Order: sequence, then structure tokens, then C-alpha cells
Amino acid sequence: MAVAFRTGLFNIGAESQLLVGAVAAGAVGARFGFLPGPILFPIVLVAGIGAGAAWAAIAGYLKAARGVNEVITTIMQNYIVVFVIHWLLQNGPMTAPNALGTPASAPIGDGAVLPIIIPNELVPLTRLHAGIFLAILAVVVFWFVLWRTPLGYELRAVGLGARAAAQAGIDPRVHTVIAMAIAGGFAGLAGMIQVTGVFHRVFDGFSAGYGFDAIAVALLGKNSPIGVVLAALLFGAFARGGSIMQANAGVSAQLVSVIEAIVLFVIAAELIVRILARRRGPKPLEAIA
Amino acid sequence: MIHQHFMLVPPLSVAENVVLGDERGGPALDRRRIEDRVRELEKRFGIEVDPSARIEDIPLGLQQRVEILKVLYRGSELLIFDEPTAVLTPLEVDELFEIVRTLRDEGKTLILITHKLREVMAVTDRITVLRGGQNAGELVTRNTNPGEIARAMVGRDLKELKARATPPRTEVVLAVRGLEARSDRGSPALRGVDFEVRAGEILGVAGVGGNGQSELAQCILGLRRPSAGAIRIGDVDISKDDPKRTRARGVAYVPEDRHLEGLVLAFTVADDFILGKQDHAPFARHGVLDPVTILRNGGRLAAEYDVRPPNPRAIVANLSGGNQQKVVLGRELSERPKLIVVSQPTRGLDIAATEYVHERLLEQRGQGAAILLVSSELDEIRALSDRIAVLFEGRIVATLDAASATEERLGLLMAGHSEAA
Repeated sequence: MAVAFRTGLFNIGAESQLLVGAVAAGAVGARFGFLPGPILFPIVLVAGIGAGAAWAAIAGYLKAARGVNEVITTIMQNYIVVFVIHWLLQNGPMTAPNALGTPASAPIGDGAVLPIIIPNELVPLTRLHAGIFLAILAVVVFWFVLWRTPLGYELRAVGLGARAAAQAGIDPRVHTVIAMAIAGGFAGLAGMIQVTGVFHRVFDGFSAGYGFDAIAVALLGKNSPIGVVLAALLFGAFARGGSIMQANAGVSAQLVSVIEAIVLFVIAAELIVRILARRRGPKPLEAIA
Repeated sequence: MIHQHFMLVPPLSVAENVVLGDERGGPALDRRRIEDRVRELEKRFGIEVDPSARIEDIPLGLQQRVEILKVLYRGSELLIFDEPTAVLTPLEVDELFEIVRTLRDEGKTLILITHKLREVMAVTDRITVLRGGQNAGELVTRNTNPGEIARAMVGRDLKELKARATPPRTEVVLAVRGLEARSDRGSPALRGVDFEVRAGEILGVAGVGGNGQSELAQCILGLRRPSAGAIRIGDVDISKDDPKRTRARGVAYVPEDRHLEGLVLAFTVADDFILGKQDHAPFARHGVLDPVTILRNGGRLAAEYDVRPPNPRAIVANLSGGNQQKVVLGRELSERPKLIVVSQPTRGLDIAATEYVHERLLEQRGQGAAILLVSSELDEIRALSDRIAVLFEGRIVATLDAASATEERLGLLMAGHSEAA
């Protein structure tokens, strides 16, 4: 998400990229469930990331080649994915009998399941699993790619000054596709972690809007790796804390959504003020020059 | 206030624009009455524009007169002109100054904001020099000379540009043949352009903005695909290359708009110095950037090109225009380019920064670079160029030796008068 923002793209499709990654991970994990963990897990990992990346790259390509606004395409992609998954699980190729009561796929192979690192018996009400290591690794990779590789430099240059980048030989179109693919890859990874760490299968409507939370997290974290981690922890605490507050203190869990919304409003307001200030600020000086 | 960028409504008529915001006299607009009023004004101040013409159909010089009429219509006694000649041809400038003198004689007070010494000398009575937001001197035009004004503007004596000591070499670096290209709007912008630039030569391209200059620079760089013709560097046709490949052949580019095209403003000085060089040694090895080398390179170039402050970690957006241009020059000139395409290199710069840019370009010329200098500043073109090509409506209408290119000749050619007469 933040990767795409850095390139000046507005990727609203993290939800669908996450779902595609989850479905790919779930399908591969179930189909090749007989393989041992050390072989199965990397395959599932690549499937999740690859599917998210490829799905997002479509929007990137449309933007680069045809000038289609990525906000529109990624939103539309969200709907496509939600309904395709619906079909896949309801009466499509991935339907499997289960005890959940909702349409779901067959469970993934044990080899692909992320181990729980703090068992429920020790600390109740958690589901902390090894996915946290993958998430930390993803943040490190995000930071490294963006700030320590020529590719990251090019992505930032395109995001901050597309025309300057273009005249310097950095093709904004190519980098639009790459940025979307990377963003989709991260979202796909998130979906893959949900499947392998939490649910061990795909079921209908399983992503509680994580992809949309990601937009908020990227905004709050101002697209910097550390900021994104802190923002994600905040939103995670909101989500968990909300249900616990409801159970223990009788505070409505909806209040969390209200607080989240207020946070976002404040951020958005700050952005608007800054854009207005920039418009008014240096322009008159330029006119004199 | 007569703005540098006109504040007119293009589809409306001259008269309608003049009364805009002041359409007194009932709900219905009495076209005849306002046109008569505008005509009356025109007669009084000796300004000629057809009141019923549409703004979008008349040239910039006339549009400016509408701006002046607008101010007069409101009965203003004080008129402020902000860089009024930036978009005018030399002929239009003379006509503007006629109007300015008439207004003065009619008893109006006029303030002319400009950085062109010639204009100051030509029409003003008194001069106030501003430097760094402070009053740096008050002069009476009759008793001063351009040298004294320039001294007050810069705070020191100006260096004379070194005479072009060495003649250009014979080796042709850039050869353009039958080049045609379309503008963004799809209309023909270049209609068969031929020229060549030799090593150690500066070819000036003069012309009023919008006659194909931008498209010419973009075609050479590979930012715009020509619809016909060839662009050769040495023996290689680069007309189909992208900017990356073009630059790999030793082409450097100082773009016209340094904010949008020249620099990534939000980058640090060090980062902007490596724009376009980020993917190879010494700045990147095995696909990983080397921050130490990038920073050291930034510090070295900032010092070498006199960027102030010489801090490679400074954000480029916070530098002054002159220092931003130095960052562009440092990046583009530091690797001994064979061909340098320079577009409006001193637009909006103060005298000291302008002088610096000119010195650096002449230095490159001395080192054997071929330079294509696109500029709408005739003084700049005449001071730097060995030969001057005049671009008018997408064609080169004449190529003159610098020695024979008087301002009058260039001015007439730029306005579309052919040489034959």
C-alpha cells in the first residue's frame, strides 16, 4: 500500500489483492497439502505474493498503457474478487464440506500452517503466530527496497516528480506497473499470512476489511516503514481492544470505528491544509520570477 | 496591476473582459454601450484593440493591452506592470513602451517590475533596486547607466563574459534532418527542421515561446517521438531512442522548467545529483545503492558548483532558484557531455546566478561540448551563441552568424518577417 503511495499512485485495491493472495495460498496449500512443510511453505508463500502482485499489476498496466485511473480500477477489482471468491467457495471448484457454517475451502496442508508462538493457554485471547516474523521481514524488505536500491530510488523519483524522472531516463509507465505489483505483493502476503496463520483455510468474507485498514495505516504512517508499523499496531490494538472492551466493560465495539474515523479525519484535514498551503505559498514568488 | 500571466477570459470579447467584474447598468449587458466606452478609453490613451474581438483570437501583445484597458477602465491612477515583456516580441515591446509613455504623459503613476536593464533604461524616470528583499539603491535614470544598476543589483562588479576565444571545431556532434513533430494537442509543432551543431559550438535557437522550441528539445532527448526526420549523434540516428539511451550517448539536458522537469524537489541535493545515474557504479553496486558514495558525491558537486548551502542533505525545494539550477548544472555537466541541450537556462534567475550559468556553459563550450541553447532572451542568445537559428511556426526561418545578428534582424525574423525583403 505505502509502496504504491510512494509512487504517487492511490491503491484502493489492497483488499482485493489481499483476498487474491489468500485464495491462491489457500488453493495451493490445500492442493499440495501432502508435501512436507519446508517445500510446501515456500510454494504457498510465493503463490500468495505472486497472485497479489499479478492482480495489482493489471491495474498498474491499465494506468500506464491506457491512462485508466487506478482508483477506479482497483475499486472495481475489489468487487470482482469478492464475488469470484463467493462463487469459488459456494458452489465452485474450491467448495469443501466444513463445520463452520459458512462456505469455505478445504483446509491447507499442515506443512503450510504457521506455528502459534504464544499458545492460547499461556496468554488467553491471542492468536499470535509466526506470521509476525513474516510481517517484520516484510517491513524490513519494504524499507530496504525503497531506500537502498536503485529501483526504490526510481520509484520515489517517479512518485515525487514524474516528469523529472522521465527526462532522466526513468520510465514512469514501467515503474507504475512495478510499484503496483510490489504493493499487490505485500497485500497478497498479508492474505497468505491470514490463511496460513489464522484460519488455515479460505472462507467467505474472511477478510474483515483488512485491505481497507491498510489504506488508513499507510496514511497514518505517512508511508514510512516505521510509521506504518506503529500505525498498524495502533489499528490492531483498536480492533482487538474493541471487542474486549465490549465483552468486559460493555462499551460498544462500534466506538472503535468512530475513533478510527476521527483519526483519519484529522490526518486528511492535515493533508488538505498542506496542499492548500503549498498552492498558495510558493506560487506568487514564481510569478514574479 | 498588470500581471505577468494574463487574467483574461479567453472566450469573451475584449470589451467584455475590460468590464468584467464591473458590469454596471442593469441585468442585461449592453454590448454596444460597453464597446463604445472601451473605444473611448482607447482613443484617450492611444491603445488600439478591436473591442469586439475575442481574447482567444488575438496575440499576446494585444491581450496585454486589454489588461491595461481593464485597469484604466476602473479609473486607476497607479499602474503596476509585473515583468510585462516576458512573452512579447521585440516589436511588441516597443509598442508597449509607447503606451507606457503615453500613460505617463497623461498623468498616471506607473511602476515597472522587471529584471531587464534595457527596459529600465528605456522607459523609466527613477529606479529602485531590490536585492534580497531590501532596498539596494535609488537612482535617477537620466544620471545612471546599466553598469551602475547591475552593480547595485549584484552588489559587486559584473565580470565581462570571456570572448569566444576558440573557434568551433569541424566535427559535427548533432545533425537534425527534416525533423517533424506534433505538439501535445496534435497540431504540427515542427515542420521540417534542419541544422547541425559542431563540437565546441553554441547554436542559439531564438524565437517567441510556443514556436516549436519545447518540442525540438523533447525530440532530441527522446521524450517526444518525431513524426518524421532524423536526429543523429555522430553517425547514429537517435530519433527513436528513449531518454535513457539518448543520455547514454553523452547527451545532457537542462530543461526549461527546473521545478517540474529538472529536479525532484522533495529529494535531497545528493539524491538529485544522481538522478538518472542511480542504477550504475559508483552509486549502485549489485543492485544496492551506496549511500556513502552518494552523499560524498553530493558534497563534492555542491561545493564545485557553488550550491548554497553546500549541504548534500538539504532538501532541494528549500533552495533558491539559482541554487536549484546549479544542482541541475552539476548533475548534467559533471560527466563531460558531448551534447548539451539547454532550454531557458536563466529564466527567473537573478543577475549573479545568470552570470554563473553563462560562465559554466562557455566553459563547456571551451571543453569541446556542442551546445544547443534554446532561449527567448535575445541578450542571452546573442551573448553566448556562435550561430543563431530563428524558429518561427515550427520552421527555422534563418540561421545567422552571431556577428551579423543584430537585435532588429532577429526581432523581425522572430515575428515572422522573412529575410528576403
